[in-house]
Amino acid sequence: MHDIYQFVSGPMVWIAFIVFIGGSLFRLIQMLLLIQKKESFIFSYISLKYALRSIGNWLIPFGPVNMRNHPAVTTVTFIFHFCMLVTPLFLLSHIVLWDESFSIRYWALPDTVGDVMTVLVIASCLFFAIRRQKMADVRFLTSASDYIILTIVAMPFITGFIAYHQWGSYPFFMVLHIISGEIMLMAIPFTRLVHMLFAPFTRAYTGSEFGGIRYAKDW
Amino acid sequence: MNRYAIFILIAGLVSLTLIMASYSQEDMVTVDNSVFTNPQRTPAKFKHDDHNEAAGIESCGECHHVYQDGKKLEDESSEDQSCSECHTATDDGRKPGLMKAFHMNCKGCHTTAKKGPVMCGECHAW
Amino acid sequence: MVEPENKPDETIRDEGIEAGAARLTEDKIAETINRVLNVEAGARLRMYVDTCAHCGLCSEACHYYLSHDNDPHFSPAGKVKQTLWEMIRKKGRVSPDFMKRAAEIAHTQCNLCKRCSMYCPFGIDIAYLMATVRRIIHLLGMTPLYIQATAHSHAATMNQMWVKEDEWPDTLQWQEEEARSEIPKLRIPLEKEGADIMYSVIGPEPKFQAQLLYQAAVILNTAGLNWTMPATPGWDNSDMAMFTGDNEIMGRIKRAHFETAIRLKVKKIVMGECGHAFRSVYDTGNRWLSWRMPPIPIVHAIEFYYDMLKEGRIKIARKYSEPVTLHDPCNVVRGRGLHEKARYVINAICDNLIEMHPNREHNYCCCAGGGVINCGPPYKLARMKGNRIKADQLFATKAKGAKTLVAPCHNCHSGLEDINHYYGLEMNVKFISDILYEVMEKPE
Repeated sequence: MHDIYQFVSGPMVWIAFIVFIGGSLFRLIQMLLLIQKKESFIFSYISLKYALRSIGNWLIPFGPVNMRNHPAVTTVTFIFHFCMLVTPLFLLSHIVLWDESFSIRYWALPDTVGDVMTVLVIASCLFFAIRRQKMADVRFLTSASDYIILTIVAMPFITGFIAYHQWGSYPFFMVLHIISGEIMLMAIPFTRLVHMLFAPFTRAYTGSEFGGIRYAKDW
Repeated sequence: MNRYAIFILIAGLVSLTLIMASYSQEDMVTVDNSVFTNPQRTPAKFKHDDHNEAAGIESCGECHHVYQDGKKLEDESSEDQSCSECHTATDDGRKPGLMKAFHMNCKGCHTTAKKGPVMCGECHAW
Repeated sequence: MVEPENKPDETIRDEGIEAGAARLTEDKIAETINRVLNVEAGARLRMYVDTCAHCGLCSEACHYYLSHDNDPHFSPAGKVKQTLWEMIRKKGRVSPDFMKRAAEIAHTQCNLCKRCSMYCPFGIDIAYLMATVRRIIHLLGMTPLYIQATAHSHAATMNQMWVKEDEWPDTLQWQEEEARSEIPKLRIPLEKEGADIMYSVIGPEPKFQAQLLYQAAVILNTAGLNWTMPATPGWDNSDMAMFTGDNEIMGRIKRAHFETAIRLKVKKIVMGECGHAFRSVYDTGNRWLSWRMPPIPIVHAIEFYYDMLKEGRIKIARKYSEPVTLHDPCNVVRGRGLHEKARYVINAICDNLIEMHPNREHNYCCCAGGGVINCGPPYKLARMKGNRIKADQLFATKAKGAKTLVAPCHNCHSGLEDINHYYGLEMNVKFISDILYEVMEKPE
């Protein structure tokens, strides 16, 4: 177990971050080069003001009309994305590891809060899975990849939750937790999780077109 | 059919996980953590004599070290002091803060020896 | 689990699609799809497809989806799934039957109204994706027959309705003569170089809605403006090629239009109450010709009426008394934000405006625009069934007292007239100019 732990918490972390950051840069640069090559007009329509106006409005819970039309999805989506980003970044155990490796330390969430947020993420994933099953229009759009992506996102939180509470074989879940976190990181640039990188850009472009050219709101 | 297969797979993984959650820790002596304010974890379990016997540690200075100018002094030891007398709450130059000092002192040795606990919950058991 | 197959509507037989599909081979289809997706298209297509989270939050933006009892085949992303996703997944190797269905979806089950891009959390432009499908269909030569005929007319005559070169000035002179019996000094100035305004219209106006030319002439004369109309091809601002994905023809007709205005040395183009033509001159055609914005200012009729009323160039004798409601056309509202100006105009000329809901940017589409009505009689019923939600919206507005429905866009106007009859709404469908002409003070 020592060797496995050393590997997944050492070289694998490096690999995961290199793939995540390198892959993300690759996707973003590739996208910008492709725009430059074929759709350079996009650069001339992009407007910082209207991009931020659009992004800003879509960050306000229940601001856009469509969010108000779907209160349950809106609530769960905001909770999910907030907890999913904040929990791993501000979890004490993670910060302790940053500190031990790079002397990087910052404010941490109390463990109980992190615990609750983890449960919220898992519950949200369950909500999304059920929604995919139950809503005819969403089911129609769903393929195996959608469940795989949902699982990739849920696994670090499920295993992290079990490991934190030390249910079952602690080392097993701890290692599984680390591996699933690394899988998720590496999956971001190369699956539809790439919306984490691309959504600000698609929103910025649509916002710029609506605001700067079409003088209309897009929310 | 894919959708159901995946659903069953996920359900299976979750159940396996829950089944494996079922044994408790034995009684133990712990590292004194009263110096920490609002600790988030339980004190690290640590049976001093059993540990040293199992690890074959003769010299107190092995763990109760003394550093001078960034170097560990081989013949010195500090078991008459509290760790917190040297290690303050936060890092001081190359001298790690108290929590980090504990973690690195234990984990460092365990990692080199490939023996003993290295993951959070192995010491901070509930 | 097997999804229910959504077969093409067997009751519709479109000769353009059928004849085109009969000539196709899978190799030709794959070659064309891959050329469009990999060579012509760029980052937008790839990002939109990769970013879509398959969340279905666009579904309820679509009038087809709502009108078909939430049938997932009609949700915006559902339409992308049935077309582009399959094409990408199979690397273009799809069957002619698949392409027939794709043509039906892209041409007759989407109006490119962009309502869904306001509902997508990522702002994905699904209309662009459907237009890309239409481009593939165009290159495969299987565009629906009726709209292809109008695109042919554009290519041959530079107008949408096969109006011959001599018929155009004849029609204008005829309308001038008619109007002079009402306002003796009225002129429709042709080819007046250096005028302030070139007034442009769509092909159907001289073809079968000549009274709109009459009304425009009265409004422009009354306002005392220095205006002109061209006597040459280039007068037509409409553009069905834009909707068939025939970008090359779109570029030709837009160039002819802009160059005509520049030849006449006018300061701006004022256009009639047409939505798609506005999209073509303001958004799509100019871009194809590499102009970031139109090379000459384009003023849509709504904005023009707004300016005239605001400046006091046109005065109202007595306001229109029947309660009206206003339909916000996609191309000038989501496309140009003219909704508040439209309300200013309506309030200036009508006693009572009763809002339909939703409205402004969020108004439901007319289900005629985007080239759908131009696909002709085979699809009329599909248009009617595809927009029950609009009838519901209008019935609710009628219940609040609205009797006249103002639709400041030709496609909307025709499509809403069809809905009016099909669902028995019994409302009066009017252009703004119909009312403005009726209520304005005219010179003796």
